[in-house]
Amino acid sequence: MVSSMSTPEITAGLPLFGEERAVRAVAEVEAQAAKSISIEDVSVSYALGRAARRSVLENISLEIEEGEFVVLLGETGCGKSTLLRMLLGQERPTEGTISVAGSKVERVDARSGYVPQRYSLFPDRTVLDNLMMGPLTSNYHILGRLRPSFWGARRAVREEAFRQLAHMGLQASDAGKYPHQLSGGMQQRVAIAQALMMKNRVLLMDEAFSALDPSTRGSLQRLLRSVWSETRPTVVFVTHNTAEALFLGTRVIVLARESKDDACGSRVALDMKLAEGGMTLRSHGQEFLDLVEHIEAVSNGGRLTDLSGRRTALDRCGEDSGLAGRVGVFHEVGETR
Amino acid sequence: MTNLSPFDIQARPNRLLAQALSAVLFVVCIGLYMQTSIARHRENPEDRVVPSGHQLLAGVRSAVLEPAEEDDYIAPDNASTWERLRHSMIWKDTASSGKRFFISLGLLIPFVVLAVHIGLFPWFGAGFLRFFLFFDKIVALSLLPILFIAFGIDEWSKIALIVIGVAPTMILDVTQMVKAVPQEQIVKAFTLDANNFDVAYRVVFRQVMPQVINSLRLNLKPMMLFLFAGEMIAASDGLAYRIAIMRRHMGMDVILPYVLWVALLLFLIDFSLRTINRRLHPWFQA
Repeated sequence: MVSSMSTPEITAGLPLFGEERAVRAVAEVEAQAAKSISIEDVSVSYALGRAARRSVLENISLEIEEGEFVVLLGETGCGKSTLLRMLLGQERPTEGTISVAGSKVERVDARSGYVPQRYSLFPDRTVLDNLMMGPLTSNYHILGRLRPSFWGARRAVREEAFRQLAHMGLQASDAGKYPHQLSGGMQQRVAIAQALMMKNRVLLMDEAFSALDPSTRGSLQRLLRSVWSETRPTVVFVTHNTAEALFLGTRVIVLARESKDDACGSRVALDMKLAEGGMTLRSHGQEFLDLVEHIEAVSNGGRLTDLSGRRTALDRCGEDSGLAGRVGVFHEVGETR
Repeated sequence: MTNLSPFDIQARPNRLLAQALSAVLFVVCIGLYMQTSIARHRENPEDRVVPSGHQLLAGVRSAVLEPAEEDDYIAPDNASTWERLRHSMIWKDTASSGKRFFISLGLLIPFVVLAVHIGLFPWFGAGFLRFFLFFDKIVALSLLPILFIAFGIDEWSKIALIVIGVAPTMILDVTQMVKAVPQEQIVKAFTLDANNFDVAYRVVFRQVMPQVINSLRLNLKPMMLFLFAGEMIAASDGLAYRIAIMRRHMGMDVILPYVLWVALLLFLIDFSLRTINRRLHPWFQA
């Protein structure tokens, strides 16, 4: 992988007089590696009949650094899952380019781990087989299993699978169960472990906890945050739950449309870095509520209807970023609308 | 208290009652047959249209223990029951029909694999799907004369008829199953570094396999139907051939046991496939 290359390795093939060029090359490689995900001027639209088109996303540009926990927020239909599918390579943008880990995304591959909301596990495989599938498939494709080294590798992967299982708070006795024998929460724990088994530096999660009850959801959010803290992969997490976004993310990106018109796609309405991350109502009280109010106002098109004589959250988070200065919890990278 | 209303959707008949109800129609059929048989035999003791219990028993005995008329084999007097059974008419016919049936079944496997490709790989879909959609509408029996001309009247024309009759439907069925595999599963497999063939055979094929077996179970009867059509027109042995021959002789005492034997064979094949499915794919029952 590019990011793991040392300077001598990179400069080895360059002529001596090209030192400056080598330094520049190293700088470029490092800059590229630091930008885990790069979205450049991406627009997506679909044909509606002969002439009309429906715009889903419009001129989205984002740079996501390695190790960031980015949460994509927005109303249903605002295009956040579409954006995630493009990061995966499942869909292609109508315009613009997307790069993950330094190279352009053109098809689904193993650069990113993926945890969807549903069907996250293969129903015909036990939990253990689900966990082992990635590493084994990666090294031994369909006929590769005939190689003698397969069984040794399988043993090692099996041990790692049990370690991941324990890490996710599951019992060793769950290893032999099929996905339908697990609760929704357990299934998503296994799905996260399955993605982690591949040791990807990028993890894409599409409404991964949306179908769970609040208590299970809470425990999985804590688990995910602790897993992220340990290994710091780049995570892009799609949700429509603002509280979840504030708890999980170190950066919250809100996508919203300016109007209901088909020709008008979603843009980045708010791009906000949380200084600490992990905000909850209990830990941050009123500031948390203010932020939720602000984000929801932005995702609803920036209009607050019940002002009750108070300054709106939008006003407070306006040009002078008053709220940011006051509570010291977050600062806004930019409000593009 | 058990609700006895037959029009109550929420009724829960107990096990004994349910089993008794399941047996009622069988008993009614047997009763009606017996009554008709007795009535006809009262008028004509030699009646062969609705054979009596004795006549049926004699027919079964001749089918199971005696060679076919066209065979030269004469069992020695001291031949064992097993020896007689091995040279019997029903054994010969079952083996002939079975061979045709199972060769056809084997020939359907490549079509199932093709269907997985059609459902999964866009190039295959573009190339094959419309062709099979059209081909499925051709009445297979109308091709029978062509098959006889092309393959002659021996085994292959009958086998080809079964395959041509069933394969398009199965291909379309399996293609739909493959398309119904959630896209998330396919994307997930690619993110786990699976290549195209891993996805096709180790993700999709494994997941649709129980449904493919179920589809095969549903196609057992059409397969037998095509086999019977072929055998009745041009064959020198086989279950349908025997039924056709016996019809000429009004041999209802053999035809009826043969009909029940074919039904039993199909039931056993279906039962075996269902058991295999349950054993191999315990996750599918959930």
